[in-house]
Formats: sequence, structure tokens, C-alpha cells
Amino acid sequence: MRPRILIVDDEEPILLALREYFLPLQYDVDCARELEEAEALLAHVHYALLIADLRLSGSQGNEGLELIRFVRERSPWTRIVVLTGYGSAEIESEAVGRGVDAFLQKPMPLADLAEIAAALTRSTA
Amino acid sequence: MSLWDRIVEPDGLTTVFQPIFRIAGKQRSAYAFEALTRGPKGTNIERSDVLFEYVRRKHRESEVDLLAIGAALREARDLPGEPSLSLNVHAATLERDDSLAGSLAVLCAENAVPLERIIIEIVEHAPPWSGPQLLASLAELRSLDVRIALDDVGLGQSNFRMILDCHPNLLKIDRHFVHGCHADPHRCAVVQSIADLAVRLGGQAVAEGIEDERDLKAVTGLGIDLVQGYLLCLPRSSKDLREVGVLEEVTRP
Repeated sequence: MRPRILIVDDEEPILLALREYFLPLQYDVDCARELEEAEALLAHVHYALLIADLRLSGSQGNEGLELIRFVRERSPWTRIVVLTGYGSAEIESEAVGRGVDAFLQKPMPLADLAEIAAALTRSTA
Repeated sequence: MSLWDRIVEPDGLTTVFQPIFRIAGKQRSAYAFEALTRGPKGTNIERSDVLFEYVRRKHRESEVDLLAIGAALREARDLPGEPSLSLNVHAATLERDDSLAGSLAVLCAENAVPLERIIIEIVEHAPPWSGPQLLASLAELRSLDVRIALDDVGLGQSNFRMILDCHPNLLKIDRHFVHGCHADPHRCAVVQSIADLAVRLGGQAVAEGIEDERDLKAVTGLGIDLVQGYLLCLPRSSKDLREVGVLEEVTRP
């Protein structure tokens, strides 16, 4: 069975790029643009991996941290990658404390991201 | 366009209907049609479970419940016959929206559906949604001759309290207890107890989630004559329901 991944980002071009990159790599890919949409999917669909931007809707909040908490409560077997262009050591520490599997800085080569995704989804298979 | 904009645009929500049948001996007839809402086509929230999870997380149950009622009543014009219409409403909407009964009356009038045909089915009735406005909304609905059903009876912590508070006409027994009850005396006992409770409170029980002929036989054997499930009819558009002639009484094998 193909691993199913959920990509969460409020920037449509990034979502599209990630979707087009991961689909040929034998993943089933869903995309969400906002926190509530992602949570609604995570509540009803099993995902092997979540790849989420730290900030959604251009806010100053860190919705990605909220998603980590949600996933750890509802779907502990789902692996989590958080991407950010605004990361700090404090936020990374909080993300790790909440159970993120990888906290990555943007921009990041897609090949590197795919390698991390493959390693994480292999470990859940 | 945002996901929310997709929901509120005209025809953003669509409705399919699943009949609730009344079983009488070897025959069955449509007692009501439950309206089941689907989200905007081609989105992540097309599925109803994801749609309403999204809506609850947005705390916009009231707006979407009314939109869904409007969509259902418009679609109901094409339904065959005039059985009752069961419309799902969150307990949160009953608690927050003090104009629900009035809005329902307007929508029914606009679509030429008599209020006596309407059953309001209360869904997602976890605490704290049992406050004074919820009770006032229910009283107002009753004054319009609207009947009340409680969904998923048997699950959740507040069911007995909700049964006492809401005085439902119909107790819908959750599929969790119905599925496999023919072979499980414990499930059977739970189903029987809810059916007995419904009768003692002056109402009726509905067995949901009938997917197996043996479960159908078991629940009817317990005296439950209102049943719903994939075995009897999948959720379908009003047009499809008209074409398959679901109203006609069917002799079971």
C-alpha cells in the first residue's frame, strides 16, 4: 500500500510543487491550506506522514506547533515534518518537545525532503 | 477561493437522502428520508465527516446547519411521496441560534414543505450543549409540530441527560450496537434496553446501520420497526430515489 501523506501550507505554489514532486514517488498525497482543514482530515484519514509549514495564513502564530500537538494526541503513529522560514532555537525546541520528527529550515532541496520523508515512512511501515 | 467560500457559495453543499423504513411483517415502506450533506465537490471536505469536523473546528455549526437545511429542503422537492424529512442539526446550533425555529419555518414555507413533515435530528450532543437556549429552541420547534430525534443514542456521556432534557420522539440507536447484534447477546440487550426506553418515554426507536439481514431480523424481533442502513438502501439523490421507487412496499424474501 502506498503511504499517504498530508502537506499543509497556505501558499498554493508551494503546495502544488510539493504535490507534483511527491506523487511520482509512489505516495498518495492530500493537501490542506489551513489549520482546521488539516485537523479535519487528520481526524478522519490515516496519514503516514504530515509535512506542515510552521505558519499558516500569513499569521504570526505557529499553527504547525498546534498540528504537532493534534497529531500526537489523535494519531501517534503519524510521522511529522515541520518546515519553516522563521525558525528559532526556541521554537525548534518546543516542536521537538511536542514530538516532531524533523524540524527543517526553508528553503530546502526537494530531494533532501524526499529522502527524509522516505526514511520516516519506512520506519512506520 | 477559500474553503469556507466554497461552502457558502450557491450549491456549495449538496444533499443525498437515506430512507428510514417502517417494517410491518414482510413489508416495508418509507417512513422518513434522512438528509445527508456533502461538501463542495472536488475538495477535501466533500466527505460529510471531514466537512463537519472542519465546520466544528471553525465554530460555524449554526451557519452550515442552516445552509444544509436549505439545500436539503430545495432537493426534497424531487423526493417521491411525502414521508417525513429528517434534518441534522448540531446541539451547538440549538444552543447558540435563538432564531433557528423561525429560520426553519421560513425555509419550509419557501420550499412548500409542511413543518409537520420535519424531524430535527440532534447530532454531536456532547457537553456543554444542554443549556437553556437549547431547551428553548426545542420547545419552539415542538410548538411548530416539528418532531425531535436524538442521534447516536448509546454513545457519549450525555445521552441519558439529553434524553431527559430533549424528550425526543425518536431515539436513533447507534450502528455500533446494531451491527452484529444478531450474534451478540450483550449488543442485543443494549438495543433492547434502548427500544424499551423509547417506548416508555412515549417515543420510538430507530435501528441505524443495518447492513446484514440477520441484524434486521434481530432488531425487528425486538419490536423495533423503524430501521435504516445500507442493506435497505444506500444514500441517494432525490432523483434516484424517485426512480428506484423506494416508496413502494416491498415484500422481503
